[in-house]
Amino acid sequence: MRVTVDVTGEGVHEIDLERLESASPTYADLLARIELSPHEVSVLVDGRPVPEDAPVEVEQITVLRLIKGG
Amino acid sequence: MTTTERSAPTLACPKPVHDALVADARRGVPDEVCGVLGGTFDPQASRITSRYPTPNAADDPERRYRIDPEPLLETLETLESRGESIVGFYHSHPRGPPTPSRTDVDGAAWPDRSYLLVSLEDGRPAAGATVRSWRWRATPERETGGRFERERLVLE
Repeated sequence: MRVTVDVTGEGVHEIDLERLESASPTYADLLARIELSPHEVSVLVDGRPVPEDAPVEVEQITVLRLIKGG
Repeated sequence: MTTTERSAPTLACPKPVHDALVADARRGVPDEVCGVLGGTFDPQASRITSRYPTPNAADDPERRYRIDPEPLLETLETLESRGESIVGFYHSHPRGPPTPSRTDVDGAAWPDRSYLLVSLEDGRPAAGATVRSWRWRATPERETGGRFERERLVLE
């Protein structure tokens, strides 16, 4: 399966899941492929956040960098 | 050109937006307020055209701020539908100084975007306000990390 990863404000990546090392790739695996850390972004599917350790089951995801501080 | 020769980045801000950001910060006391800045983005010279206040979802809003992903995504879609780009983000320090805190450094994640800060210094709504802005310069060789570079705020 080919997944479109839209990193908001930056660009779009097309990732072929079969080319990832894991047999059951997670969203964290997708993030690693584009050199992003779960500590700095949220993954959204249909506009809602999903756990980074969940298996990838959709073809379109949105990645948002976090906005936080003090 | 070396880093030391390069002139500081700039952020142009309409006076009405500046004044609205200060008013937001005063209304929010004792909590920190936050939001998104829309306009024209460039890594060295951006221009604000609009501000988009968002809820502060932090557990301790008097000392922290956080924009949840769902309202953030909605805000960014609204901004882009109006032909604007993501210039950066703002938050207030109701009592803190007009400089990024350690927590701000730890939480920064948008390379080259502006992080504008409204400081009320002593936490009183009527207190004088200081508005300053920084660019987040990510360190390429690390997954996370970087530094804030002060930028020139140009009121227009």
